[in-house]
Amino acid sequence: MSVDQAAFAEFREALKAPPTPVDDGLSDAERLARARQTFFARVDRRAAVDLDTCIHCGMCAEACHFYMATEDERYTPTYKFAPLRRFYRREVSPLRWFFKPFTRKLRLAELQDWQELVYESCTGCGRCDMICPMGINLSTMIGIMRQGLASAGLVPAELRALQSEQSDSNSLFGVGAPELTALVDRLREQGVGLPLDRDRADVLMLTTAVEVRLFPESLKAAARILDKAGVNWTLSSTAFEAANIGLISGDRDTRRAAMRRIVDQAKACGAQCVVVPESGHAYQALRWEAANELGEELPFDVYAIAEYAAELVNDGKVKLKATADPKTLTYHDPCRLGRHGGVYEAPRELLAEAGHHVRDTEANRRENVCCGGGCGEYTISHGAALRQKAFEVKRHELDATGAEAVVTGCANCRINFLIGAANSGWDKPILSLVETVAENIAD
Amino acid sequence: MTLLDFARGPGLQWSLVILVVGIIWRLLGALMITARRDLAKPRPHSRLRDGVGVIASRSLPAHVFEKRIRFQHVSGYAWHIGLFVTVLFFGPHIQFFESILGFGWPNLPNGVVVFAGAVTIALLIALFIRRMTNPVQKLISNFDDYFSMIMVILPLVTGILAFAHIGARYETLLALHLLSIEAMFVWFPFGKLMHTAMSFPARFQAGSGFGRRGVKA
Repeated sequence: MSVDQAAFAEFREALKAPPTPVDDGLSDAERLARARQTFFARVDRRAAVDLDTCIHCGMCAEACHFYMATEDERYTPTYKFAPLRRFYRREVSPLRWFFKPFTRKLRLAELQDWQELVYESCTGCGRCDMICPMGINLSTMIGIMRQGLASAGLVPAELRALQSEQSDSNSLFGVGAPELTALVDRLREQGVGLPLDRDRADVLMLTTAVEVRLFPESLKAAARILDKAGVNWTLSSTAFEAANIGLISGDRDTRRAAMRRIVDQAKACGAQCVVVPESGHAYQALRWEAANELGEELPFDVYAIAEYAAELVNDGKVKLKATADPKTLTYHDPCRLGRHGGVYEAPRELLAEAGHHVRDTEANRRENVCCGGGCGEYTISHGAALRQKAFEVKRHELDATGAEAVVTGCANCRINFLIGAANSGWDKPILSLVETVAENIAD
Repeated sequence: MTLLDFARGPGLQWSLVILVVGIIWRLLGALMITARRDLAKPRPHSRLRDGVGVIASRSLPAHVFEKRIRFQHVSGYAWHIGLFVTVLFFGPHIQFFESILGFGWPNLPNGVVVFAGAVTIALLIALFIRRMTNPVQKLISNFDDYFSMIMVILPLVTGILAFAHIGARYETLLALHLLSIEAMFVWFPFGKLMHTAMSFPARFQAGSGFGRRGVKA
């Protein structure tokens, strides 16, 4: 259950040094034209209704952890896509002929100014979606802003470096096929067999570079659950990475390529389902976005490891025993697993089945407060101070439960908690759901 | 043609035409933009139930959020209710609706309606000032936000002046009251007052979209 502190310290240090920005050679006019083109392409009926309905009440600010932490009005979610709304009114709205003379054109300088608001002070957690009295899907609008900025080459250097790494060499944080293979070999020596590159398998299990590098125990735990259930599963050395930097940065090509790699591999090995490890955004990418992004219905089911494990337990294929050391735990709902994905109850059921007592934070499930560093935000060095403030909001909620430890089903949340805890001397154990569950598999 | 004749005749007719055509134009214009079918396999859901559920639920208190937005909620309820009471339960208004619809309904005592109107005006002025001074609202507000509030306040003010016969001849005050309503009708499709219509599809799509994912929005 413990995190390799040396590996974590190395990882944390690496995050502090932003990569040198790369000149993509685009002229200002090209950047603006690309952003406009993306906005045109992404504003569909749903977006049009959302962009046309905001009453500027400002309630969304009260749901945003960055606003709650700072009371800085610039972090009001509806403000974070103000340029997109203006673009809509001027260029797309059915009343554009009326709005045009009174509505400023989209400007590149403005998009550059918005980079901080769109990437550093929004994790796309969607809590604002739940408070809006008009029902506006604000996180999707901010997502379109990210896509516009990405096409204009305005992605922060850290995300851009990761995006290039994923699209150019199919690796992340320096973890590619050789590093995965090395981990599999190492675990095999320890007596843990992970099936790799089986030709045929019912289940394609994914992992992430972060798991390989920081949390291999989570991968081992998932393997234990699958093996106990007698599932015919495999990892793939060419399509193991569940993380999708394109979803985070907004870059379409990276997003689609990462999805395509997994979908093709799942088809090739005849998988009936693909299981996504503890990564909220990876689950969103594959479960909810991939079919639409690739323009085809997926011929397999997509599960988060939490819901897949719960299904195996419910079907009696895996039995859990009550732990000899029951704890009062609080479960942090990862935004993209819960609010964006509907996986709320399975993790709680698993923890209860394992004999732990779950005590929820005041805001939980669809209203859960974000960890503060999701959606790749923890990689952006410039936003570290703001993230720490947002983490304190979350920490306050977690402490108020009186729980002995925090459990979550997303490695991204876990990293952000670990960083926040290290910065503030917080000593609450931060546990992985799948590891906590696998500890209590009955023989 | 007197000012009152204009307000009762072509002014009312043309403002209603702009109101109706404008609402349809803006609403259908947005709804007719294409959207691709969602190809992700949904969880068990009912599009209609989820959509209608959110149309209703977003008018209710917002669970754990409520303590942070109570003022906005309560003030919002208060002035909307005040406006509806004033518009729908004032005797002369009911007579006007009856002349169009062919049926009427019981009115509230004038004192109650005037009180509701006065409270609504006071609330709207307070919210107008709040919009100018609250950092969040000030930042996100534009001309539309302020102008739309004025467009709602004016009919209430002119209505009370006309009822109380203050400031001018009754016919003039009545004409101003009607013209202020007509100005609001003309502005309605172009500004944020359109949320009255747009909030229904917006809430519906929020409910049905999240419902596909198994999330009760």
